[in-house]
Amino acid sequence: MVIVVPIKQVPETSNVQMDSVTGVMIRSGSKAILNPLDLYAIESALRYKEACDARVIAVTMGPQSAMKVLKEAIAMGCDDAVHISDRAFAGADTWSTSYTLAKAIAGMGKVDLIITGERATDGDTGQVGPEIASWLNLPLVTYVSQLIEMRSDSMMVKRMTEEGYQKLEVTLPALITVLKEVATVRLSTLKGKMRAMDMIIPTRTVKDLDVEPSYLGLKGSPTKVVKIEQARVKRDALIIEAMEADKVPDAVISLFDFLEDKQLLEKGESR
Amino acid sequence: MMKYNKVDERIISELTDITGPYGVLVDEMKIEQYSHDETSQEEYGHMPEVVVLPETTSQIAQIMKLASRHHIPVTPRGAGSGLSGGAIPLYGGIVLSVEKMNRIIEIDKENLTVTSEAGIITNDLNEHLKQEGLFFAGYPMSLETCFLGGNIAENAGGGRAVKYGVTGRYVLALEVVTPQGEILQLGGKVTKDVSGYDLKQLYIGSEGTLGIITRATIKLLGLPEATSDLLVSFDTAQEAIDAVSAIMRAGITPTSIEFMDQRSIIMSCDYLNESLPYQDVGAMLLIEIDGSDEAIVERELIRVGQLCEQNKATEVYIAEDFSTQQRIWAVRRNIAEAVKVYSPVQSLEDIVVPIGSIAKVLPELDRLSETYHVKIVCYGHAGDGNLHATIIKEPDDSMEYWHEVEPKVLRELYSFIVHCLGGKISGEHGIGLKRKEYLKEVMDKSEYTASIALKRAFDPDMILNPGKIFYDEGQ
Repeated sequence: MVIVVPIKQVPETSNVQMDSVTGVMIRSGSKAILNPLDLYAIESALRYKEACDARVIAVTMGPQSAMKVLKEAIAMGCDDAVHISDRAFAGADTWSTSYTLAKAIAGMGKVDLIITGERATDGDTGQVGPEIASWLNLPLVTYVSQLIEMRSDSMMVKRMTEEGYQKLEVTLPALITVLKEVATVRLSTLKGKMRAMDMIIPTRTVKDLDVEPSYLGLKGSPTKVVKIEQARVKRDALIIEAMEADKVPDAVISLFDFLEDKQLLEKGESR
Repeated sequence: MMKYNKVDERIISELTDITGPYGVLVDEMKIEQYSHDETSQEEYGHMPEVVVLPETTSQIAQIMKLASRHHIPVTPRGAGSGLSGGAIPLYGGIVLSVEKMNRIIEIDKENLTVTSEAGIITNDLNEHLKQEGLFFAGYPMSLETCFLGGNIAENAGGGRAVKYGVTGRYVLALEVVTPQGEILQLGGKVTKDVSGYDLKQLYIGSEGTLGIITRATIKLLGLPEATSDLLVSFDTAQEAIDAVSAIMRAGITPTSIEFMDQRSIIMSCDYLNESLPYQDVGAMLLIEIDGSDEAIVERELIRVGQLCEQNKATEVYIAEDFSTQQRIWAVRRNIAEAVKVYSPVQSLEDIVVPIGSIAKVLPELDRLSETYHVKIVCYGHAGDGNLHATIIKEPDDSMEYWHEVEPKVLRELYSFIVHCLGGKISGEHGIGLKRKEYLKEVMDKSEYTASIALKRAFDPDMILNPGKIFYDEGQ
């Protein structure tokens, strides 16, 4: 069987800074890494491979520098990787990105399972995985927290919902998005890294894919970013001082007033 | 035993005049936390009579003059994260905490220095410097709570000393208050300085016994652009330690080479619920490489990894992204805590040997473990020859047995380290209270006498952090 894992290169979030004027993420100076949540998708695919003898292909869309995350996927144990890159794809939103990825996957022949991370840590939309399923008309299971049974034609998964868990049986081909809970990620090995360094990863451009040009890149993207604002947390602290004993009664009254004002205590309660 | 005067109402009132009412703590609930550090509280803790929280150097000078006049012991204190009892007020008296003195005075980008007060949390200082693309390379990375002043007073080491050396290497200038209450300005923003004695150096690692460090100017380096880690497993601890020597000879200087024996890995992984494939591993090395160029770091990483493979490594894992690096370093960083959970009764040691002798340490630990029926967990900064062998009381053993056996194990271990390997009994934690009895036994007599003479010359009344380093300073 064949498993495809779409992955993304994102800025390292430990030091992401936003431009306070434009509201855009300052990418210069921040290191690009493999989206941390995609590691769980790769890990899930590798476990599936161990259970059912599958071939795992990592795929990413992005500039030349995104080749790095594909090498990482190979180092972890993926068998192959495909790089999708063309100026025409630049600036794509989730709709256009998922369209392009879906077309690339469709061009790979028989694919049994697509596994994505829950979302990317930069855009935080969580849309691309489900959208790929939609373009390819595949059954979709989001928020998978456990792979209970892995078979070559179907699978049993546990899915997290707001109320609790669902246990679902899914026939393949299908697409699942996985949560952190799904597995502990293995570490890459030096042997894997050496293999990745030697591997030549093919790049697919517009002319390699059967795509509608008006769906691509910034021009093909229906999402228009009007304004990005950074939410600010404001803390109003009230400090009531009562260093001397005679100031304590007044301080207690101020504290009651404050708590009542914030509706944390009912008026007159326990005064 | 030293004799000191008690802190009475009059002293409290004079202290209050100096620092204001918020700077003097006498309430037992509040001063309890100043009675111990990170060493075992039951064994070493001692309550202060009063805690003062000065805000300026001149307040500290006034406090020292007062203490000197009334013959009251003063114990300087940073964050209290020490591991040798250095900040514990053995004779009561005054604990002087620099926690309110936490301002950065100046970042000098032309000279690449930072000047800060002693009470700044070093981790905060480095977070601040990071925005400028700079860092203080002598930061031990041990606890995110430790203070700059404490780092200097203990001459802290930590995980990156293989490449960057210890705290002392980066101290350019110090402001120090003497036991008599004089303020000294030592050193400066210069690389070279032989204008008189290098007094500044004397205070670095003096464990608060010669003066109180109030301000420091630190040499900064540019942040490395790239950092990568290797986690390497071996069948036996000896093979891991042997590989350390091979790496050190290869002409690459890693930032860190950390060693973890089987027990420490299992305890830490269990504690963290980490599922690394550790169960059948005899020992692991955690090796970090950093540099200004990603390609060079990658090349060195591969070279070191291959060296490990040639030296009997069973698997070489790599961590090139931040979150994976945090994950594997968590295993190393949580060992001490995990061992405490296993057995709170223990002796966390800090032996250091010449790097060429490190392979000889493990067989001796095994011998001691067998002879005295104690468990010894061993981990630490193998690239510096600095190992945190931790002797632990088995939960089933009695306290009587532990008290009988602990000093015997330590005596034999220290004697072996010092006399057979040319090592020292503490590399970075200090002597403090915990090891003073043993220092006297293993240190050369004339060096010991000269050290006490020095202490007496600086602090003739023996009021500054008495009862530390020396077993019998007052006699």
